[in-house]
Amino acid sequence: MLRRTLLAATALVAAATLTLTACAGGGGSTGTGEVDPDATVTVRLALAPNDLDVRVTSGAPLDQILVDNVYQGLVARTPEQEIVPSLATDWTVSDDGLTYTFTVREGVTFHDGQELTPQDVVWSLTQHRDNADWVRAVSLADVTDITAEGQEVTLTLSQPNSSLLWELTGRPGLIFKEGDTVDYQTAANGTGPFTLAEWVQGDSVTLARYDDYWGEPAAAAEVVFVIIPDTQTALNAALAGEVDVVTGFDATLTEQIEANGDFEVEIGASTDKGTLAFNQTSGPLADQRVRQAIRQAIDHEAFIEAAGAGEVMTGPIPSLDPGYEDLSDIAPYDPEAAKALLAEAGYEDLELTLTIGNWYSSTIPQLLVSDLDEVGITLNVDSVDFPTWLNDVYLNKDYELSFVLHTEARDFENWANPEYYFTYDSPEVQELYAKAIAATSDEEAADYLARAARVVAEDAAADWLINGASIVAVATNITGMPTVNVNERIDVSKLAKSDG
Amino acid sequence: MIRYALARLTLLVLGLFVASVLIFVTLRLLPGDVAQMIGGTSATPAQIAAISERLGLDRPWPVQYAEWIGGLFRGDLGRSLVTGTPVADELARKAQVTFPLGALSLLIALLISIPLGVLSAMRRGHASGTALGVGAQALAAVPVVWAGMMLVVVFAVWLGWLPAQGFPRSGWSDPGTALRALLLPAITIGVVEGAMLLRFVRSATLQAVGQDYVRTAAAKGLTRTQALLRHGLPNVGLSVITVLGLQVAGIVVGAVVIEQLFALPGIGRMLVADVGARDLPKVQGELLVLTAFVLVIGFVVDLVHRAIDPRQREAA
Repeated sequence: MLRRTLLAATALVAAATLTLTACAGGGGSTGTGEVDPDATVTVRLALAPNDLDVRVTSGAPLDQILVDNVYQGLVARTPEQEIVPSLATDWTVSDDGLTYTFTVREGVTFHDGQELTPQDVVWSLTQHRDNADWVRAVSLADVTDITAEGQEVTLTLSQPNSSLLWELTGRPGLIFKEGDTVDYQTAANGTGPFTLAEWVQGDSVTLARYDDYWGEPAAAAEVVFVIIPDTQTALNAALAGEVDVVTGFDATLTEQIEANGDFEVEIGASTDKGTLAFNQTSGPLADQRVRQAIRQAIDHEAFIEAAGAGEVMTGPIPSLDPGYEDLSDIAPYDPEAAKALLAEAGYEDLELTLTIGNWYSSTIPQLLVSDLDEVGITLNVDSVDFPTWLNDVYLNKDYELSFVLHTEARDFENWANPEYYFTYDSPEVQELYAKAIAATSDEEAADYLARAARVVAEDAAADWLINGASIVAVATNITGMPTVNVNERIDVSKLAKSDG
Repeated sequence: MIRYALARLTLLVLGLFVASVLIFVTLRLLPGDVAQMIGGTSATPAQIAAISERLGLDRPWPVQYAEWIGGLFRGDLGRSLVTGTPVADELARKAQVTFPLGALSLLIALLISIPLGVLSAMRRGHASGTALGVGAQALAAVPVVWAGMMLVVVFAVWLGWLPAQGFPRSGWSDPGTALRALLLPAITIGVVEGAMLLRFVRSATLQAVGQDYVRTAAAKGLTRTQALLRHGLPNVGLSVITVLGLQVAGIVVGAVVIEQLFALPGIGRMLVADVGARDLPKVQGELLVLTAFVLVIGFVVDLVHRAIDPRQREAA
């Protein structure tokens, strides 16, 4: 009895410390085997899509699962954020930036077998522009005319828009079959390398290779996205050989998942911006000195250490986006300077409330509370679910400080929009951003963005706790998994499994 | 008996009505709505307004409630605002995970609690009886989540006997695989619920031991164990049936947590996701079905109790 109890206790202690070095199961495969064209690759996602309507429903899960893989646009973006041809073989932009002409690829078919025509392109873009409830419909507002002639589709703009091509790599640019009767909420009919094979609501989405795909066929026969919310469960699933790729992994668990040699953790850049927003419409946070003091009171390195990955972010634009610049000179970590600023502003005993999503690690508010306490600011933490955050913070701007990880690439426009929940209203930034949009060359646009970003940082319009990383654990017999900006898009067409 | 059943049925219907109102109102007190969720963090106010209008969120509450209840009378649980699919269809699909999981958990809980509970009562005063009592006390205090994690690490990760998470996409077409997927989650719920039930069985047995009829039977020449097994156990069984209603409620709550932890596509996990999506018609359908299930179990337990307990029969 005693011996058994001891054994059980030992097992539990070992389990609790999760030292999985003594893990059962064979040694790691080397990945040198042949690629199996009939393989099913299983990819873990943390968040489930609520429905499959890419036209209307926002959110990263649909971008990750359906965009590029099932649905495509005239142009696409690479993980490194370059704009490349997709359903258009090439395009030209007139010198005045008002006319975009795309040559639509021939020999493309939708998954139901019907051929893609330029008329489908015209219809899709027009629909997206004219339906106010579709994702980012507003980004096509400048497009006055969409016409097709032969294989060419021409977009005419009322004013130049240097972000139009970028927008077309996203939701507004996706091409659907004209007048399609598919139930977009639960099914799909695109042109991508995969068809939507099965959707188990809240649990998994299965993609199957589309054999009549116009480009290079998908390497795997099937890719299954399984939704596993809990990171520990995802780790166990990986160790038990139930998933091949874990996205949104926790870098602090790297040692455990790599212990038996079956997985490797890959860390890539991302446009994830851990944004600490300040409601600066009134009160102490309307004072630039208070905001600057908060920025200087925060030890950003500690957030990166806690996450186990990521980069310091010194301004509103991450390094993957145009207009990026190292702005670390503006608000270096200096609690003494922060105290001085607060004293100067007359706020030596300040109490503020942070509204933070309850799906984020509790380390974030803990670090913030202790950093701000150091300079005499008492921070109360209000942890809320996503719908509450959307309602209170995003829509009603009823907050003082807020933390959210913004994953969208190239979203600087929010700093030029005083209506956005950032509540930042700077005519100078708005003018610079307008010039960036009106620019007719990428260099010119990036230059204006960089100047605007500097102003945003100098105004301490917000603080950026971390430029998050894409953290992906990949089984060693898997190749072709993208590692950059995976939290936004995952092109799985090259994902391959070796049987070695 | 019939009068009792009718009275009890009226109570059941009344309970369901009150529950429907409570569910409807409390859900609408939650901040945020489905239109904002669909729009996300890049939506403009105009976009959200357009989505709200399309979904009919701007209609007054009483209209929405009447529509829901009216649908219920026609056997229609409503449709999801997000996917447009009937709530009943999705419930039926997810029930294929949750109901077997619940039944298996209950079975495990009973298999643990009844023999061990009786044993620990009969061995009262002995070391083994005390150990069982203390063990049950300790197990009942274990958080379900922690218990589940430990089981996964040992049986899925170390030994590789059972899956660590998930449910086969092919469902019950391969019963063996499906059952294996539910085993660890069911043990997790079953052990914790069983430990609670064990203490109950133990005290019911102890009570029976002290009863006159057991003493009388012993006086007639039966051993104490024989007397207890023959005359005491039916009474213990009655007590267990009484708390079974509560146990079922406990298992439903346990399933919500466990389905999340084991990434099982069941009703509990769907409920959490739908609350997160503010898909209110779907949530209220799910909650009402779960509430009805627990209430109906309570109703059946009461009727069964009434039918098999001679004291209650005579009193009636």
